[in-house]
Amino acid sequence: MAATDGKASLRAALAAACGALGVAGAPAQATEVRTGVLGYTEPGRVSALELVGDAKHTFAGGQAATFRFVYDVLSGSSANGGVPAAAAQTFTSPSGRGSYTTEAGATPLDGTFRDTRFAGSAGMTLPWGRLTSATLGLYGSSEHDYTSLGANAALTREFNRKNTTVTLRAARYEDSVSPEGGAPAALSAMLPATGGGGDDDKLGPDKDDDDNGGDSLAKSVTDLGLSVTQVLGRRTLLTLNYTNSRVAGYQTDPYKLLTVVDPVSGAPRAADAYLFESRPDRRLKHAVAGELLRHLGRDVMTLSYRYFDDDWGVTSHTAELAWRANVAAKQYLQPNVRWYHQTAADFYRRWLVDGQALPEHASADYRLGDMTAMTYGLKYGRTLATGNEVSLRVEYYAQTGESHPAEAFGDLRDLDLFPTVDAWIVNFGYTFGK
Amino acid sequence: MILEHLPDGWRAAFTAFGGPCEVLLDVDGRDDAAVLGEAAGGEAARIERLWSRYRDDNIIHAINHAQGRTVDVDDETAGLLDLAAQCFELGEGRFDVTSGVLRRAWTFDGSANVPTAAEVAALLSLVGWGRVTWRRPQLTLPAGMEVDLGGLGKEYAVDRAAQLLSLRTSAAALVNFGGDLRALGERRDGRPWRVGVEAPAATAGEAPRPALDLELARGALATSGDSRRYLLKDGVRYPHILDPRTGRPVMDAPRSVTVLADSCLEAGVLATLAMLHGRGAGRFLATHCARYWVQA
Repeated sequence: MAATDGKASLRAALAAACGALGVAGAPAQATEVRTGVLGYTEPGRVSALELVGDAKHTFAGGQAATFRFVYDVLSGSSANGGVPAAAAQTFTSPSGRGSYTTEAGATPLDGTFRDTRFAGSAGMTLPWGRLTSATLGLYGSSEHDYTSLGANAALTREFNRKNTTVTLRAARYEDSVSPEGGAPAALSAMLPATGGGGDDDKLGPDKDDDDNGGDSLAKSVTDLGLSVTQVLGRRTLLTLNYTNSRVAGYQTDPYKLLTVVDPVSGAPRAADAYLFESRPDRRLKHAVAGELLRHLGRDVMTLSYRYFDDDWGVTSHTAELAWRANVAAKQYLQPNVRWYHQTAADFYRRWLVDGQALPEHASADYRLGDMTAMTYGLKYGRTLATGNEVSLRVEYYAQTGESHPAEAFGDLRDLDLFPTVDAWIVNFGYTFGK
Repeated sequence: MILEHLPDGWRAAFTAFGGPCEVLLDVDGRDDAAVLGEAAGGEAARIERLWSRYRDDNIIHAINHAQGRTVDVDDETAGLLDLAAQCFELGEGRFDVTSGVLRRAWTFDGSANVPTAAEVAALLSLVGWGRVTWRRPQLTLPAGMEVDLGGLGKEYAVDRAAQLLSLRTSAAALVNFGGDLRALGERRDGRPWRVGVEAPAATAGEAPRPALDLELARGALATSGDSRRYLLKDGVRYPHILDPRTGRPVMDAPRSVTVLADSCLEAGVLATLAMLHGRGAGRFLATHCARYWVQA
């Protein structure tokens, strides 16, 4: 019999046979490992490849340990914030040594964007009585110009014959940014490429990518959260979530620029046309979310909504519908659609105008602008004879904004100031356990 | 049923499956304990009646006395026969609910009464799930063959009792039927259940002593092996675990094997299969079981 060929198969077959008798229980002790490969590509812009490994071990005593590891590689081009122009434009690369040129009419993209990131986390959940559990965790990530260290804790308690679950969460992260080429001063002009050893403090001395000089800027994040999950009958589950996040420290993107345009022609001004952006060093964010999960026959529908706002003036709404259709005993198809809309930060400026006073803060980062995004996805999952699970998810994402804002003047009127960004996401997952 | 008030809950004790059974309950009131204890004890008694081979009024008697005729079985028995069929396949013939007739030749009473090869060979013609026709719900046994669900019934009863308790209460409990047990959650004070697993006595007459002291909050433990049952002839010890493929004891198995699994049935089948692998028990356990304890 083939079932004895593999390790998991005997146990899985036996568990299934016992399960058929209706006496299966919560796992006594189990190790589950999830692995995934995710590919992300914005055609003509950024590509990323991400490897994820997740392991969870539940001990017979009820304690659980979790580990997570992420490695990703990003490369490609990313919008630098400058507006397109009727003539070709030349920008200094972040290192200060090289330069790149954007053709007339094209959105300026910084093609020197390349990074690898490692992130790891570990957590331990400890039951504390039958109804309460505590979770403690540590987090760390590193890229060549960014490191983050964090710790988190959560307390979960069940009420109402386990029909209500309340979780309180707190997390603190200490991040450090060491921009390539040094951190530019707020709204300072981009300098021409030096092409070799630098002599300017802002650009830093000649150095390789892994040594970013002494400029290291700190940022701290404090998250507080409360979530309540309520069982509403046999087929419905409702989860409500509130998160408060306080960020203090350096939040400017050191590689993003704004174009200062001529007040009449709308073209980049003749000298010092590109200024480095500047963001406030404090940000307070609130998010409220609700998720309704309902079993409909053998299918499961998940409807969720999230509201977000912050004191930078960004407000966003996310609504998502996912439908898990269990098409066969061990296979499912899950289409999903997500709508996202956000309003711009108060200091978002698509461009600055020559001759006008500089604002205290300004950013042309499209991620802080008015935008609407749609995501369409389909996931296929299947449980193998061994009990292991494979899944494949494909998503298409399209983000649109105001390509021709009413305030545009001169050359700007004819240029696409918020080109549609679209992306494809492909995710392969494999879950196994013992 | 005897109810005993412990410092941290109640203990309901009764006898079933030829041995002591108990349910430990993390409840305060005597009435609650009595209701829950009765539910578990009643379920044990029901399952024992259903599949006991010492009765003449149950489905096992009907099957074993059908003389080659087809017997229609109830749903619950059919479920267990499905599992038995699966275990036969998974164990490549080692786990066989028709092997009980071998006991006619092998009586593990500590004597030197080892049967002859001819006696064993004669009985082996009456052993083998492969000779049985099982098309749920119809079972046809060749005349003379027997089915014994005793090797699964007690573990099934543990799981069923645990399931009945979890439907009636959210309180933590431990079901222990003669050393096969299942835990239902941590107690209110957060402590898991402490479980002692008896070491096999080295010699007959020696009192059993707990050799394993385990903590268990959920899941089930089952133990296979009992060194008090053996034959001793010419200095050779014949343990009571019989291999249905040879009709003879498995000679190099550990004294006992304890396995942790999600359900008591799974734990019981895994522990039995491990013993039937003889000297390969350790490798079987390492391959197929997440946690286990071996007493050599």
